[in-house]
Amino acid sequence: MARLRVLFALLIAGVAGVVHAEDAAPAAAVTATVPAAIPPQGPAPTTGVDSLRVYPEAVNLLTSKDRQLVVVQAVYTNGLTRDVTGESTWTFANPALVRRDANTLWAAADGATELKVEFGGKMLTLPVKVEQATAPRPISFKLDVMPIFMKAGCNTGSCHGAARGKDGFRLSLFGYDPDGDHFRLTREIPGRRLDLAVPAKSLAIEKSTGAVPHTGGKRFTPESEMFKDFTGWIADNCPLDAATVPTCTSLEIYPKQAVLDGEGATQQVTVLAKYSDGTDRDVTSLALFMSNNDNSAAIVDSGLVTAGKRGEAFIMARFSTHTVGSQYIVLPKDLQFTFPQEAPVNYVDELVNEKLKKLRIAPSGICSDEVFLRRIYLDLTGLMPTYDEYTRFMTSADPEKRNQLIDELLNRKEFTELWVGYWAEWLMVRSNNQISYKSMLLYYNWLSEQIGKNVPLDKMVQNLLSASGGTFKVPQTNYYQNETDTLKVAENVAQVFMGMRIQCAQCHNHPFDRWTQDDYYSFAAFFSQIGRKGAEDYRETIIFNSGGGEVAHPVGGRVMKPKFLGGAYPELPGKDRRQLMVQWMASPENPYFASNFANRVWAHFFGNGIIDPVDDVRISNPASNPELLAELAKRFTATNYDFKQLVRDICRSHTYQRSTERNETNATDELNFAHANLRRIKAESLLDCISEVTNTRDKFQGLPLGARAVQIADGRTSTYFLTTFGRATRDTVCSCEVKMEPTLSQALHLLNGETSNDKIRGGRVVDVLLEQKVEPLQIVERLYIACFARKPTPEELEVFKPLLADPANAKVVLEDLFWSLLNSREFLFNH
Amino acid sequence: MANRNTIDRRSFLTVGALAGAGSLTLADLLRCKQAQAEQKNYAAFEGTAKSVIHIFLPGGMAHQESFDPKPYAPIEYRGEMRQIATKIDGAQFGETLVQTAQIADKLTICRSMTHGEAAHERGTHNMFTGYRPSPALTFPSIGSVVSHEYGPRNNLPPYVCIPSQPNEFAGTGYLSSSFSPFSLGSDPAQGGFKVRDLSLPNGIDDSRFATRRSMLAAVNQHFAKKEKADGLQAMDTFYDRAYSLISAPQAREAFNIEAEPAAVRDEYGRGTAGARMLLARRLVGAGVRLVNLTFGGWDMHNNIVQGFRGQMPEFDKAFATLIRDLERTGLLKETLVMISSEFGRTPKINAQAGRDHWPKVFSVVLAGGGIKGGQIYGSSNSTASEPEEDALDPQDLFTTVYHCLGIVADKELMAPGDRPIEIIDGGKVRKELLA
Repeated sequence: MARLRVLFALLIAGVAGVVHAEDAAPAAAVTATVPAAIPPQGPAPTTGVDSLRVYPEAVNLLTSKDRQLVVVQAVYTNGLTRDVTGESTWTFANPALVRRDANTLWAAADGATELKVEFGGKMLTLPVKVEQATAPRPISFKLDVMPIFMKAGCNTGSCHGAARGKDGFRLSLFGYDPDGDHFRLTREIPGRRLDLAVPAKSLAIEKSTGAVPHTGGKRFTPESEMFKDFTGWIADNCPLDAATVPTCTSLEIYPKQAVLDGEGATQQVTVLAKYSDGTDRDVTSLALFMSNNDNSAAIVDSGLVTAGKRGEAFIMARFSTHTVGSQYIVLPKDLQFTFPQEAPVNYVDELVNEKLKKLRIAPSGICSDEVFLRRIYLDLTGLMPTYDEYTRFMTSADPEKRNQLIDELLNRKEFTELWVGYWAEWLMVRSNNQISYKSMLLYYNWLSEQIGKNVPLDKMVQNLLSASGGTFKVPQTNYYQNETDTLKVAENVAQVFMGMRIQCAQCHNHPFDRWTQDDYYSFAAFFSQIGRKGAEDYRETIIFNSGGGEVAHPVGGRVMKPKFLGGAYPELPGKDRRQLMVQWMASPENPYFASNFANRVWAHFFGNGIIDPVDDVRISNPASNPELLAELAKRFTATNYDFKQLVRDICRSHTYQRSTERNETNATDELNFAHANLRRIKAESLLDCISEVTNTRDKFQGLPLGARAVQIADGRTSTYFLTTFGRATRDTVCSCEVKMEPTLSQALHLLNGETSNDKIRGGRVVDVLLEQKVEPLQIVERLYIACFARKPTPEELEVFKPLLADPANAKVVLEDLFWSLLNSREFLFNH
Repeated sequence: MANRNTIDRRSFLTVGALAGAGSLTLADLLRCKQAQAEQKNYAAFEGTAKSVIHIFLPGGMAHQESFDPKPYAPIEYRGEMRQIATKIDGAQFGETLVQTAQIADKLTICRSMTHGEAAHERGTHNMFTGYRPSPALTFPSIGSVVSHEYGPRNNLPPYVCIPSQPNEFAGTGYLSSSFSPFSLGSDPAQGGFKVRDLSLPNGIDDSRFATRRSMLAAVNQHFAKKEKADGLQAMDTFYDRAYSLISAPQAREAFNIEAEPAAVRDEYGRGTAGARMLLARRLVGAGVRLVNLTFGGWDMHNNIVQGFRGQMPEFDKAFATLIRDLERTGLLKETLVMISSEFGRTPKINAQAGRDHWPKVFSVVLAGGGIKGGQIYGSSNSTASEPEEDALDPQDLFTTVYHCLGIVADKELMAPGDRPIEIIDGGKVRKELLA
């Protein structure tokens, strides 16, 4: 019976070009038409379909070799998606133009037509264009053979892509040097690797198919397309492409997003490459697939994604020098969920909640006034609220008191100092052999002034990166004195101002991102004309535009023309290259500038960035909420880079003011800001807080007694406490410089070290309160408020009451309590 | 943990074998399926090594000038330095390893170590974790794994770094930060060296400290009830460790290098290498399970002869003394000593009279703790550019070291997202290395 249906359906398909009869909906017939697409989780529901998505948006078939895999995705009103490619009805206006094989279309005759796709009462048409339907396409080395080396894994770092190759044969890593690969394949050890007479007997082929022993094992079968193309190219005499061969300019992976319903649900992807001559190709079979979370969604070589455990994954496809990705959300099957009623405060909440709704996660509630008070003081000033500040806030009945406090704290000088500290880390403000203490101090003061005046970020960065002059008179020029190697300067600029680590591309195309060696050296060329010479004072250096100097590509030695990273080639003649660079770098034209900074600010308030780590922006490390990041960046740009407004938006949101207590749905979520996070207080602020509550003063080199740790200008100045609690040394621009992990040394230091013990005694907080005749239990409350911004609970008071019964013991007991508070987890963490 | 109610991997295999005999019910089969998805688990067994001293030479030490000289290679491969005979018949070392040559009968020299990572950080990752770096996951170092598997002994931290954590890959990777190393924070070679904050401050006696501890416990309770986070748990762990360390004078004494007789200190040498190795010996003797120490900088792109003559004699003296001292005190039987580096260096001397990065073949030295003595394991080819016999990859090296420690490296640990990951993926124990 089933076999009959297959025959019948094939007959219809062959004669009428209709894949299955439009009104004949029985599932069996559908299954018969496209046997490969039997969904393991049963037929897709045809009701509740909100919309259809068909990929790609247009089918262009050029030559008899070209084909296109089409994917149809149904989006249901409940947000779930489903791969319905096999279950949808396809109708061609002119069926004679294409041949359909399962879900792939091949050219049959030249012309243009339309494909109508229907499912669940929804319909979509897409244009189909066929050209040179009967003409063959020659096999190109760069477009057909090079991708095989990547797909089959030949040119990875662990195989022939290693710096010196493997087992005597070398390919460029991820194919950064196709001409060199062609040379090595055809000209090295002539006659060994390729057999022009009997291509299938070529050593390169026999190794790949496992016909002869191969350390890398069998990479493809003699039946595969890779085999056919590779041998076909050898049979054509291994031509190297003409210089005019098109290059791949962009890559798309479809669908862009999927929300899968339960373990085992599948979704086929289709990958489309676009070329410099305007053509496109279906490269699904040649793309290299990766998932950043196999546990939730895994992908196999054919491009089929299978859902695993609840969670989120980013599915990536790599082809040529491009990597693209799409987001997959996996939910438990048939999950019932309602999002809590709560009006969003602003766009931050709207965009965060939108994502949470997709994930079926309910956010935690809003935190108490006490928790908010401590959190906002720590985040905006790096200090704890004092007893008086606590009382004032807690007794105020003003419904707007949280917003008022935010505004008040934004204008405190401590707020500025906190951010100068961050900037000093990013700009590596540190004295060393190149930078005298005086230069460093002037540099730091320049930075403080910029942040203090809330100078718009674009102006400040432009001023910094294009500066010329003496490191004393124009102290921001120290930026180029700190690092004098052209390539390192370029890397640092990219990492700090765009959040990108482009280091990999120095030696080979970036394996996990879009950056090629060309991009790297073209960007570095902006920094190749920085002149440095001594000034009158031996400690000062003059940074100037030397007007000469180039960067050469290591492969072939081409002089690289300066090109914005991911942008255009500017007009050069007669201009200071750094001037050109900053006008693009710190402007809306650079898509990474505003979002990088917004992300860094966000990370301060939440403990992790929307992209995390904040200085590792790459396609394979996507934003957890791209819409949110884009909106923050857009608004930041629109307000003329008003930093305080950005902070205000974040702090006012419910998202920031959530409790750390989790509920059943957000218990395991760490990426989507559904609850507040416990964050260890940064080393400098922690020391400042301890000094604040113990009423003691610290002395740091170069600063007056009583200065705070956050004010230390020089990255080289440190104390045992600061080092132990992970203060950045500012040796590199990496965000990993600041260490937040707890260690045994930290515990020992707080237990036995001078920071807790000497300060409690030296600050005399307990003595003074006792001298003022404050009741011991009152003092307990004072200490709790100073350290935790809350009163002790009745149970806690019960513990201390008997200990304080004898007034002669009061001082010792209270000091021990104070010591306990400073050692407690509640003190060390911002929560 | 996975062993509690389910079938472990080995009994699963037995059941699977029975299936062929037709004695398996459907319920059994389903249970098996479930067991398959569980973590692979193996019980720890009595290992030959109770502790490890891992000596890491950062920068990539040349194998040609140290443990794998090529006296018969052309000068541009061989280099300028001479070779000396050792206590292993027919084996030679570089000329600077004078004293080590005399204790070579205690060592296994692996001359066929190989991996493909020529960048410092990637090579270092391989040689601390046994894994190739991955963009998706950070792996734990051997010290953190040992810390995870065994925990503290005699109130001492299980994993100690001298003088401090040498690089980011010596950390906990995907494991909780509670398994991070204890860094001394200062160099034992410095005069007046003391690990800070080990003893109670002035004016606080044991009984007052006990009161403080109970108060702190009371204060912590409120927060502990409502908050859960890895950082919090790790902090708790470290407080517990700190308590045990503070309350155990013997444990604290392990850090006191001044307690060593002057003659012993002189024998090791008073420099960095000597002080670090002597302290390492004190620590493993007292109960630390894995001590990591680093010495020098070996990234000798320029003038390698000068580099070796500058650094190696100090190392040679200290290392040979360490082996002799461990032997004397009977600790060598139960202490595995490993010298490693992120990679070796290029076969040919370069234009700056140095050698560049070369991960294809280099040498690792093992001794004690169940490792065979007086052996050359594997070999490189005539120009020291490729392994010739018994190529040893990081997986097998680490699996063998774990084996000596009584840890089955195929065991899976849990990474975030309920993702079981083998301690080492697909490594084999090299029986030839074992005594």
